[in-house]
Amino acid sequence: MTETSKPNQLRLEVWNTVNERYPGSMISKEDFVPLSFLTKPLSESKLSFVSTSGVQPVGTMPFDTVHPIGDYTYREVPSNLKPHELEIHQLKYPTVGANQDINVIFPIERLQELAQEGVIGGLTDNFYSFIGYNMDPDKLEQKLAEDIADAVVKSGADIALLCPA
Amino acid sequence: MQRALERKGIPTVSLTVALDVTEHIKPPRSMFLPFMMGHHFGVPYHKELQREIILEALDHLVEAKESGEVKFPPFTWAKARKEGIAIKRSLGLK
Repeated sequence: MTETSKPNQLRLEVWNTVNERYPGSMISKEDFVPLSFLTKPLSESKLSFVSTSGVQPVGTMPFDTVHPIGDYTYREVPSNLKPHELEIHQLKYPTVGANQDINVIFPIERLQELAQEGVIGGLTDNFYSFIGYNMDPDKLEQKLAEDIADAVVKSGADIALLCPA
Repeated sequence: MQRALERKGIPTVSLTVALDVTEHIKPPRSMFLPFMMGHHFGVPYHKELQREIILEALDHLVEAKESGEVKFPPFTWAKARKEGIAIKRSLGLK
């Protein structure tokens, strides 16, 4: 179960700050959804990666990072791309590390290696990326989250790794 | 997002660097890293660490029994940074 371990928390009270600054902009849940479980070993499972990092293939429509209520679109990122074929459009988290090595937030090369080595069964053709700056939690939950979840299911994924930047 | 996927039958695991937010959104399975925002997989050029973090997360995906379980792997930011700096030096990078 969720265990709060305050000594490990680096950014104490950030929730209050965010909520005070942007009332109603954060999702808060009272319950847990039932778990789905693996139906085959990891080494046979196809992995999809979903990220709020704003990483997108070079040349695709940049995310709207300055829209007052956010951008509710997502980009498909082919899982066979190399880091120099990716760029980040996102203003809301420090990209100092990602600008040197994109794997710190979008570990595309590490996932390619794990698939090649057979640790995981493979990667879906595309990964999915969007930006975390979305001020309408209902729209995020009812549209964007469902759109991406449908795309992940359609892609034939068995498991998904998610990384909210 | 994670809840939507889980409802559609796909087991998921997420990485978090903000435990307080995680407590509010109650994801099905997550792993907390005491790292800087935007650096969930560690530091630049530290391939081993990036890989270990993914493997720890996948272990949690396999091992977690109850919805809402948060894993606390033993990584520290200080160690990650220190190793990252050494790796950069060895690569001749600033």
